[in-house]
Amino acid sequence: MSEQIKTIIINDNHPLMNREGMFYKDFPSDYRQIRYFTLLIVQKAPPKIKEINLLEQQISEMIKNAVKHGNKCDTGKKIKVWYFFSQEEAKIIVEDEGPGFSAIKQWNKFNKERQACLMANDFEGLADYVAYTTDESDENDGGNALFAAVEYWNEGVIFTSKANCVAMGKKFERKNNSLELD
Amino acid sequence: MELKIRKNEDIYIVDVNGEMDLYNSYKLKELVMKMLEKKVSKFIINMENVEYIDSSGIGALIYISSTIKKLNLKLLITNVRGSVKKVIELTKLMGYFPITQSINEAIKTMKE
Repeated sequence: MSEQIKTIIINDNHPLMNREGMFYKDFPSDYRQIRYFTLLIVQKAPPKIKEINLLEQQISEMIKNAVKHGNKCDTGKKIKVWYFFSQEEAKIIVEDEGPGFSAIKQWNKFNKERQACLMANDFEGLADYVAYTTDESDENDGGNALFAAVEYWNEGVIFTSKANCVAMGKKFERKNNSLELD
Repeated sequence: MELKIRKNEDIYIVDVNGEMDLYNSYKLKELVMKMLEKKVSKFIINMENVEYIDSSGIGALIYISSTIKKLNLKLLITNVRGSVKKVIELTKLMGYFPITQSINEAIKTMKE
């Protein structure tokens, strides 16, 4: 991905949408269990994976979005999660039964303006762009999870055109802990 | 998450212990708002023992920072490290938050 301004992409046919070879779990949309569900997924990750706490946090954000904003915490609705982890990469797809995140274009525009403030070190201006909220946001929504997501998931944050399904991928930097032999 | 308050002259230090996540970050916001009602004007939030933070925790820090800034009062956030630092770096807000390396540095800065 470009090191310039990272965006959320809409693409039903992106390679990260390919579920082949991935593990699968589904969960009821129970807000109280979001971090527990996340741990059930992350336990499949190799322990040596780089910064596993950060991986857990990033996955938890996407499960929270699906449970809270997608399925409105309706425990009769499921979230479906496909995932794959190795020491080299992490891939995850989260799908909910909601109407979809309809504000992707607005979010990308907002993030572009936010990045402009950051690049200009304009922290006064940044005050207007610290959090992205919509009419549906409440006081417990930080409004910053997707800013971090587009930075963390260096292979992309991809939504389907219906926008109720998001796929993300990350390649990990190799740990240089072996001796190099000529 | 456990919150403890201690005092150094007129500076109030809030020690945050544990996880600042979607279930409990509101507690820090509520505590700071109560302290503002009691006319506290100098705050240090000590993150030394925070093991985990998510977007709700970052959101709480944004809310507290912007509220205190609007009121022209003083806030410093200190001991931001490990995965907490990484998450703030991902949101690119390290420059937005008033961060110092240590409590001593924060107290010294507050008293200047």
